[in-house]
Amino acid sequence: MSEKMIYIHPAPVRVWHWIHAAGIVALVITGFQIRYAEMLGIMPLRDAITLHNYVGFMVIIDYFIWLGYYLGTGKIKIYFPDLRTFVPNAIRQAKYYGFGIFKGDPNPHVMTPDNKFNALQQKAYVGLMFMLLPAQMISGVFLWRVKGYADYVHLLGGIKIIDTIHVILFFFFASFLIAHCYLATLGHTPLAHFKAMFTGYEEHH
Amino acid sequence: MKKLKEAARSSGLLFLFVFLAWPALVTAMDNGECFDCHSDETLTRENNEHGHINNLLFVDEGRFNRSVHHISGLFCVDCHTDIEALDYDNEVPHARQLAPVQCGNCHSESEAAFAESAHMQIRSKGISMTCYACHDYHYVSYLAGASVAEREDNFCAKCHNPHRSHDWLPKKEEHFAFVECTVCHAPEVPRHIHLKFFDLMTNKYYQGDEILEILGISYEQFMPLLDTDKNGILSRQEFEALELMLRQKNVHAIFHVELVAEMDPAAHQVTAEGAERNCEKCHTPESPYFNAVTIALPNKDGSVDHHRVERAVLESYSLRHFYIYAGTRVKLLDLIGIVLLGGAACGVLGHLTIRVLTIRLRRNKDK
Ligand code: HEC
Ligand code: HEC
Ligand code: HEC
Ligand code: HEC
Ligand code: HEC
Ligand code: HEC
Ligand code: HEC
Ligand code: HEM
Repeated sequence: MSEKMIYIHPAPVRVWHWIHAAGIVALVITGFQIRYAEMLGIMPLRDAITLHNYVGFMVIIDYFIWLGYYLGTGKIKIYFPDLRTFVPNAIRQAKYYGFGIFKGDPNPHVMTPDNKFNALQQKAYVGLMFMLLPAQMISGVFLWRVKGYADYVHLLGGIKIIDTIHVILFFFFASFLIAHCYLATLGHTPLAHFKAMFTGYEEHH
Repeated sequence: MKKLKEAARSSGLLFLFVFLAWPALVTAMDNGECFDCHSDETLTRENNEHGHINNLLFVDEGRFNRSVHHISGLFCVDCHTDIEALDYDNEVPHARQLAPVQCGNCHSESEAAFAESAHMQIRSKGISMTCYACHDYHYVSYLAGASVAEREDNFCAKCHNPHRSHDWLPKKEEHFAFVECTVCHAPEVPRHIHLKFFDLMTNKYYQGDEILEILGISYEQFMPLLDTDKNGILSRQEFEALELMLRQKNVHAIFHVELVAEMDPAAHQVTAEGAERNCEKCHTPESPYFNAVTIALPNKDGSVDHHRVERAVLESYSLRHFYIYAGTRVKLLDLIGIVLLGGAACGVLGHLTIRVLTIRLRRNKDK
């Protein structure tokens, strides 16, 4: 078997990714502390709120770094599936994860710098980066200045409605985090994808 | 229970009042006599060597008649007790120099509580604060119906700018808008949650009688109409029925929710050191401060009818414009969270298990 290294994650993407990852983990932890203040004792509520707000803004800035990089380089298209092949590809990919992977079949999707994501990843990441994360950022900013944005908050139905959006997405992100970390172990070795996100190089077989 | 306590207190006051007012009634010195001179807007003191707060001797009859003391049947001489008779032979029919009014004659509990407050300690600095520095004297109004903003503007904010301190408290603006100063600063005062009908369009509170007119009922019919199980407390369902009734009448009132002090003498025991600074006191579902949740229906004269509401209403979407982190969270969302997180965890564990179990399969294939 011939092994060759391909450069799949350019430096800006790797930097963005790890800031983002650390940010989301911190947001999830502080988020739990804020919502379940009486049950958890990770840190005092006040610190949890302060930290959550700072990290929230870090993640927002980081998001714009990501957006700027992908828009600037035109690579954003890797996030958007080719509609003609999307459905069959997605089915093929789902079959692989649910079945073929156990038998040792090869991954039907081959990673290249221009075609980094498989069909399922594309679907998940487009939704995540263009809908759910922005929704989370906007609802978070409204919660941060309830009085300052009172007009918008009222328009959207009140603080409890905004908070409901924020909390449902929070649970979604927390679940996503679990799935995401697990899926990352499905490379040709359990740590392969993790290494790639540090070095930028993915091994090809 | 609370109604009883209030009633007992006012009947105590009434008793005191009748007792004190008796001599006045005998000499039949009604307010009209005083207003003969004191409704003159130009009447002033000849000299003010005693440092009174103003030189004007005008008393606004209309405003006085709307005050809680007039409504409760007090006469001028119940406070200005040293006027026993008017002697019109003199230029001034009573002593030129009258004794200071003692609010504590009737409000001894408030006076006692006030004596223990930070505002009494400043006497050592040579500042003495009177009751009317906060309450006014001729135009005291009912307080229970006032919103947090009104309570702050009329009292504490006249002298303090809380935004300059409280740096340890995040979201000062939100806290000062929803939490009355005395809730934190008077440790002994009982607190409760007030729900008032608020119109977002006009930015105004509905008066009790406006709401009742819309519902087509009188004050006495409010609870009988809504409290269908007759337990004296509006349950979540009964509360939602009220919302629906209003919506059917095309009224889109929201409930404005505030954390306020009850009318209790302990509100005067203001302190800085003993003030509440523990976030978890309020930001927890078990907070003792939300035990009592009441709808406040202000009467025309400013007094208020309180109607008990089940605490669980705080966690409902009927109160969409109020949310205390951790304190009033919606339980349904927790369920959704468990399902999502549990789903992800089970999926991962299941996949991992099969992956481990099928290792052999893949090894054989490699060979
Ligand atoms: C005939 C007119 C007249 C009537 C009637 C009258 N007052 Fe006066 N009152 C005056 C004048 C004049 C002064 C100002 C005295 C001064 O020069 O300081 C005064 C002063 C006062 C003061 C201020 C006293 C102080 O210590 O500075 C009070 C309080 C007062 N009146 C209450 C009353 C009450 C209560 C009544 C009714 C029971 C009443 N007055 C009836 C004319 C009147
Ligand atoms: C709740 C108690 C209370 C009642 C009732 C009351 N007063 Fe007074 N009055 C006061 C106090 C307190 C002061 C302030 C005394 C001072 O200046 O030190 C005062 C002051 C006054 C003054 C001096 C001018 C001023 O405004 O400071 C006048 C005149 C007066 N009262 C008249 C009346 C008249 C007339 C009535 C009845 C219509 C009346 N008061 C009812 C408590 C009362
Ligand atoms: C620092 C401002 C302040 C001062 C000074 C003050 N009060 Fe009050 N008073 C309040 C507040 C605040 C409340 C409670 C209402 C609330 O929480 O909004 C209150 C409530 C009351 C009540 C109604 C509560 C009850 O027990 O029924 C009375 C009566 C009262 N005060 C009398 C007095 C008397 C008498 C004095 C002078 C000894 C006085 N107040 C001094 C601020 C003050
Ligand atoms: C002669 C007795 C008497 C005197 C003197 C008196 N009051 Fe009152 N006060 C009453 C009565 C009676 C009530 C009505 C109590 C009730 O309805 O629960 C009342 C009610 C109040 C309230 C409560 C309003 C509310 O929302 O429940 C305040 C505040 C108040 N008085 C302040 C003062 C101040 C300040 C003074 C001194 C300037 C004063 N009172 C002097 C008899 C008095
Ligand atoms: C008439 C003006 C006035 C009003 C109204 C007033 N205060 Fe004060 N307050 C003072 C003064 C003066 C001091 C003493 C300031 C100092 O010691 O530096 C003080 C002191 C305090 C302190 C103690 C500060 C310390 O450093 O120990 C607290 C807490 C406080 N006030 C809270 C309140 C609250 C709550 C209200 C409303 C219910 C209120 N005050 C209404 C004038 C007022
Ligand atoms: C969440 C509870 C809370 C609320 C609401 C609150 N305070 Fe305080 N406040 C405190 C605590 C706790 C302290 C003591 C801070 C310290 O020791 O440094 C304090 C301190 C103060 C002081 C003394 C400040 C100083 O310079 O030392 C004043 C005056 C004061 N508060 C007034 C107010 C007023 C007026 C309001 C209403 C607008 C208010 N507070 C609302 C908790 C609160
Ligand atoms: C006396 C009760 C009380 C205390 C003590 C208290 N809070 Fe609050 N807090 C509230 C209320 C009531 C609101 C307003 C809820 C709303 O906006 O609907 C609020 C709002 C907030 C908000 C803004 C979000 C929102 O719901 O509007 C934050 C953040 C917050 N509190 C954090 C804290 C922290 C941190 C502390 C301790 C340093 C603290 N609170 C202490 C009662 C309290
Ligand atoms: C992306 C930017 C984000 C911002 C700006 C943000 C901001 C906020 C703010 C301001 C609050 C209210 C606390 C306060 O007022 O200080 C809050 C609450 C919360 N946030 Fe975020 N957040 C963000 C992302 C996230 C993410 C990604 C999660 C979870 C994955 C999360 C979970 C939570 C939770 C659970 C709460 C508590 C709400 C409750 O108790 O009902 N947030 N967030």
